[in-house]
Amino acid sequence: MIDNFALGLTHGLMLLAAWLLLRRPDLDRETPPPGRDTRQEREPRA
Amino acid sequence: MRDLAFIGFLLALFGMGLRRPFLFVLAYVYIDIVSPQRLTYMLLNSLPISLIAGAAAFGGWLVFDDKKDCRVAPRQGLILLLILYCGITTRTADFPAEALDKWDWVWKALAFAAFLPLTLRTRLRIEALLLFMTLSAASIVIVGGIKTLFSGGGYGELNLMVANNSGLYEGSIISAVAICIIPIVLWLARYGTLFGTGHAVKAFAYALVFACLLIPVGTSARTGLMCIGLLAVLMLREVKRPMLYLGALALAGLVAVPFLPSAFSDRMATIKTYQADESASTRLAVWQWTWEYAKTHPFGGGFEAYRQNRIRYDTVAVKGSGASTTVERNLTVDKSRAYHSSYFEMLGEQGYPGLALWLLLSLSGLIRMEILRRRHREGDFAWGGALAGALQHAHLIYLLGGAFVGIAFQPFIYMLIGAQIGLDTYLTRRRREATWRPMFGKRLTPATA
Repeated sequence: MIDNFALGLTHGLMLLAAWLLLRRPDLDRETPPPGRDTRQEREPRA
Repeated sequence: MRDLAFIGFLLALFGMGLRRPFLFVLAYVYIDIVSPQRLTYMLLNSLPISLIAGAAAFGGWLVFDDKKDCRVAPRQGLILLLILYCGITTRTADFPAEALDKWDWVWKALAFAAFLPLTLRTRLRIEALLLFMTLSAASIVIVGGIKTLFSGGGYGELNLMVANNSGLYEGSIISAVAICIIPIVLWLARYGTLFGTGHAVKAFAYALVFACLLIPVGTSARTGLMCIGLLAVLMLREVKRPMLYLGALALAGLVAVPFLPSAFSDRMATIKTYQADESASTRLAVWQWTWEYAKTHPFGGGFEAYRQNRIRYDTVAVKGSGASTTVERNLTVDKSRAYHSSYFEMLGEQGYPGLALWLLLSLSGLIRMEILRRRHREGDFAWGGALAGALQHAHLIYLLGGAFVGIAFQPFIYMLIGAQIGLDTYLTRRRREATWRPMFGKRLTPATA
């Protein structure tokens, strides 16, 4: 019961994190070359 | 049922990795820490999932990742040198078959630590790595925390899902690691961009920190208590109002003591009377043996060299008080006792050169993190400075915990070292870019505010 709760919670959060990562272009590239299409939402500059 | 859930989780993670190969790196980190194959009874434990994830992580980086921003730090060279050296001592080990067993996982942990920084090219990747490391460890820590709350635990009694004491599931190791991740959890709650820094995230982070603090209580590991002490001191460097912090700490301590289970209090009391305690006396005797062994074997005896030790020691117990004090000495004979210390583990297995390499790897990391911490106190990269501080504190806690537990090659710590190197090369590169831009008249990100 406790085991499954802890495993479910942490694994659920990891899946959510992975899914959110898919939607973040800055995972792979932070500063696109000038003129590049940047329509997708980007995080504020670090 | 649990098997299916794990398989579904891994399939989802690998599936997402096909779109973003960096997720394979995270999948490897997850598998290495949680070892889902050990929590299941069929299917997963017959598949080499760690090997698959490792190959996918490396292949994904090799084929798809941008190598333009890759920088190699001297510490990666040190790690490679350590792999090479351990490889040589394994070939000449005193116990060749056993040494080969340990070598089999050690080289992977070290090689992954050397590889990891190459993939950490963006802030988000560094954050994602740390998030997966903490959430993976959290799956063990939360179980332990809740069970401690309900049952109080006890040395060797807290059930952490896996019975065979391997990897992070061993009581003393998870105690040290649980305390070591606290600075990182606090950093994620303050600077995380993936889940944000809202109230829900903060509440989860504080609850997780509480669970981490409960682990040494639940496992009754004395090492963990010392790590908590060090953490309390290190936090003084971060807090804005030290006096208020000290007051709150004293109050929390006073409130907590009555609630501590007696199994914990009894065992912690043995820190003072260590001479009467077999576990502590064994350590001192093994360390003495290792020290002497290194004199005749300066290049170490290879992995698992402790198996040849034969130790004799007295446990001394002082009973009664005043005139009726009696001293009881009991001779204890033991053999093949593990090192119970990372420093002596390195000295006995890898000799003076191995110990020196390992210390250099740690010390240079601590110094680099201090430089970054001071360099980026404010400005655009204040998050990086704060992270350098958190990683440094985590490392210091590990180095203290490692004095009493043989975790010189614990993969979790090498991921932490990989994260340090990644942060270091990232911040150095960004700083260079920021100072380089004004030449073209487009100053976008000043180096300091």
